[in-house]
Amino acid sequence: MQPVHLCVNGLETDVEVHPLETLLHTLRDRIGLNGTKEGCGTGYCGACTVLVDGDAVNACLLLAVDADRKEVVTIEGLAGDAGALHPVQAAFVENGGLQCGFCTPGMILSAASLLAATPDPSDDEIRAGISGNLCRCTGYQSIVASVHDAARRLRESGRSGERPGPRAHIRSRA
Amino acid sequence: MSAGSIGTVRPRSDARAKVTGTAVYTADVIPDDPLAGVVLRSPHAFARILSVDTARAAAMPGVRAVVYSGNVPAKPLDFGIKDQHLFPIDFARYRGEPVAAVAADTETQARAAAKAIDIVYEVMDPVTNIEQALAPGAQLVHPAWKSYEHSGERILRENVCAVNRIRRGDVDAALANAAVVVTSRFTFSGGLPGYLEPRAAVAQAGPDGTLTVWCGSQAPYSNRTEMAEFFELAPAKVRFINQFVGGAFGGKILMAPEWFAAALALRCDRPVRMAWSRHEDNLNAAPRHGGTATFTSCADADGTLRAMRASFAFDTGAYIGYGGGSALIATMLASAPYRIPNLDLEATLVYTNKQVAGPVRAPGGPQANFAKELHLDEIARKLGIDPLEFRLKNAWREGDESPSGQRLTSVSVVDVLQKAADAIGWDKPRASGSGRGIGATWWFSSCGLSEARVEVLTDGRVRVISGNPEIGTGSAAQALPIIVADALGIDPLGVEVVLADTGDSAEDGGVHGSTSTFSAGQAAGAAAAEARARLLDRAESLLEARHDDLDVRDGCVYVVGAPDSKATFAQLAAHGDEPVIGRGTAPEMGDPEIDNDLVQAHGFAAWPAASFTATAAEVTVDKETGRVDVLHIATAQDVGFAFNPAGVTGQIEGGAVQGLGWALTEGLVYDGAVLRDPDFKHYLLPTAVDAPRITAMIVECPSVEGPRGMKGVGEPPVTTPAAAIGNAIRDACGAVPHDTPMTPERVWRALQK
Repeated sequence: MQPVHLCVNGLETDVEVHPLETLLHTLRDRIGLNGTKEGCGTGYCGACTVLVDGDAVNACLLLAVDADRKEVVTIEGLAGDAGALHPVQAAFVENGGLQCGFCTPGMILSAASLLAATPDPSDDEIRAGISGNLCRCTGYQSIVASVHDAARRLRESGRSGERPGPRAHIRSRA
Repeated sequence: MSAGSIGTVRPRSDARAKVTGTAVYTADVIPDDPLAGVVLRSPHAFARILSVDTARAAAMPGVRAVVYSGNVPAKPLDFGIKDQHLFPIDFARYRGEPVAAVAADTETQARAAAKAIDIVYEVMDPVTNIEQALAPGAQLVHPAWKSYEHSGERILRENVCAVNRIRRGDVDAALANAAVVVTSRFTFSGGLPGYLEPRAAVAQAGPDGTLTVWCGSQAPYSNRTEMAEFFELAPAKVRFINQFVGGAFGGKILMAPEWFAAALALRCDRPVRMAWSRHEDNLNAAPRHGGTATFTSCADADGTLRAMRASFAFDTGAYIGYGGGSALIATMLASAPYRIPNLDLEATLVYTNKQVAGPVRAPGGPQANFAKELHLDEIARKLGIDPLEFRLKNAWREGDESPSGQRLTSVSVVDVLQKAADAIGWDKPRASGSGRGIGATWWFSSCGLSEARVEVLTDGRVRVISGNPEIGTGSAAQALPIIVADALGIDPLGVEVVLADTGDSAEDGGVHGSTSTFSAGQAAGAAAAEARARLLDRAESLLEARHDDLDVRDGCVYVVGAPDSKATFAQLAAHGDEPVIGRGTAPEMGDPEIDNDLVQAHGFAAWPAASFTATAAEVTVDKETGRVDVLHIATAQDVGFAFNPAGVTGQIEGGAVQGLGWALTEGLVYDGAVLRDPDFKHYLLPTAVDAPRITAMIVECPSVEGPRGMKGVGEPPVTTPAAAIGNAIRDACGAVPHDTPMTPERVWRALQK
């Protein structure tokens, strides 16, 4: 076992992990954050997408030891204090951007990452930005509409380009 | 008075839980002190099992139970033909077939023990495809098939577990005198349901003979009953608690990890948790049937269709499972929705040594419609008639007869064809390299057993308890609140939905056959009406007014004309010795009459509240590479009446892209009998980049049988896109593969012919 220090959703977290354990299993099995889903375990479906230092990554493809001293945002860390939905989450609710919901946490984090870099994306940019996240239910049309609406909500609330996740706890890297 | 929420677009009741990651799926259920359950799978596609010895495995560290054919009930499972056991006894019949299971303190220990189970196999040559299975003298997948019990008039023969037929008129005479005769042959790949959530189950046995299963099933009540019967437990002591389900598409009707987790838990004093990997899941995914079809049809020079002979063979894999539906439905779709007086339609279900095919969303639908609609375009082209005009000329009209002699009502074929065609600009000039295609279908509605309760609680909350699982469609999470809120004059978001739990005694037949909103919606509507009546009863006494003088809205009961005289739901719920509860049951729906002389060995030839759907597609084809880009899919679906339009649109859009995937990229590729890619590496589910613009059009031609004229929704939109895309490919480049998936290589090869 090996000690790993993570900042997960703004909380400094020390965990002991197996050297070959993925970040997905550390989040789910050791930290108890079950919002991150395992759809394939091999990087094809994107259901396990989390943000690591702001980048959307497949948690099933990243060893927990390689996330040491990094900042991780999961779906549980996206909503604000007092449960206020993040604009991307609110847009998915209002635009029907989900059905079974299993791809939704990863899809929302990919969309949030896309919008942080591209505040006013075109249809094609949205589709490319979420192309690593499979959805079997919706046919993607309502998801694309949700991301457009999320971009608008972020702009209107003055949060365009903001890095998603808790703002209180950006640490300096060692 | 109603609040008017029916027919309006409202957010889902489960949306907040799903966007915040708090929605609990089965793999998220972590009981106290769980054991890890794992399955041992056959490494061989076909092998005689000579012996099974679990002693060494059972003695390994941490192992708490080992189950296999020798210590579970020996009776066969019953799928109309008793061809399967929980674990195989005589032969392992597909690679990946569960042959034993182990529960241990840790998953590592369980996997080590599974490897230590000694099974002596005599490896045999597998039957790998339909042609091989049907060849004279073929190896039998089930050597003892003649001794199997089965129900009904089933046609069985070597390596065949079902043959269904519909025949009318004189096809041979019509073919002999026809202006044009066209023969077309097709092959279809199998296809995964492709739900994103791999299967999982948690099971716990209690000392008092109880068994609790946490699962993500499409049919927890019937699963519960089947499990209780198999292990000879009292049904009342077996409880299935459904979680949110991460997609199902027909793949989660039958139990899989539920069986093995339960078999282990019954031998342990701790809960057993089993979560399948994607790899394991795809080995046992109950995929859509692959198969073949041959069509021969004829028409007059003016385009009037005269006769059709169609013959399907579907690969059911090692067992029949719930596979019979694909063959039955294919015969019902082969000629529909078109007037053809002479028909000879047959479908055969063939055993091979592959995983068991299943009832994937609209079983048989995409296959039958792909073959039929491409075949019809070949006739139209030969006659020089526009494909849309050809279809409109032959389309069913009100009062026509179905293939089995059912008198058709509320027929909207012409309407849906025209709307789909118009949406893609059928008559506009085509750009070079682009093409348009169209296809149509009919489908059934079903009204299964469904009960619901609506409760008004003393804090004023309203909740609906239905046994109908929420698998993603919104049938439970979105449609039921809309229906309940409408009766009670409140906002749908104020209605809490309790997920299916057999402990709640609101029995439901499950999600399949486009039945959910049809059945559970009627049950919930009736329950809400009764809850409303109970609220009015209490308001009569509390407000000293009569029913007729009361109005229900915004969570209160008002005296009409006296807005200050009111009682809240909370006050009314507290005003009495008992809670306010309404109960409802879906009514029975009779089957339409058919002509039994026209059908043989066919148990599904009467389709109530029939619906009609058409899809048009626009594509571009790169003739150099065979690459197909789908630009636009337009589906017009007659749902009779849309209780939940957002849900209908979601079904159409999702069905369009599932249909596109099966058409172009999704193929189960086998090396012999071995699935080449049990992951998602080469099995390509469409991404957001692959998905086209989709136009979803809701048509409402009310049925005679359905609530407010409703027709079933969920399945039809997946059945027509492949047909429309195939015809569009030919329109674009002059050739089309007769095989799915229509890969670039196949399109390119078709162009070289």
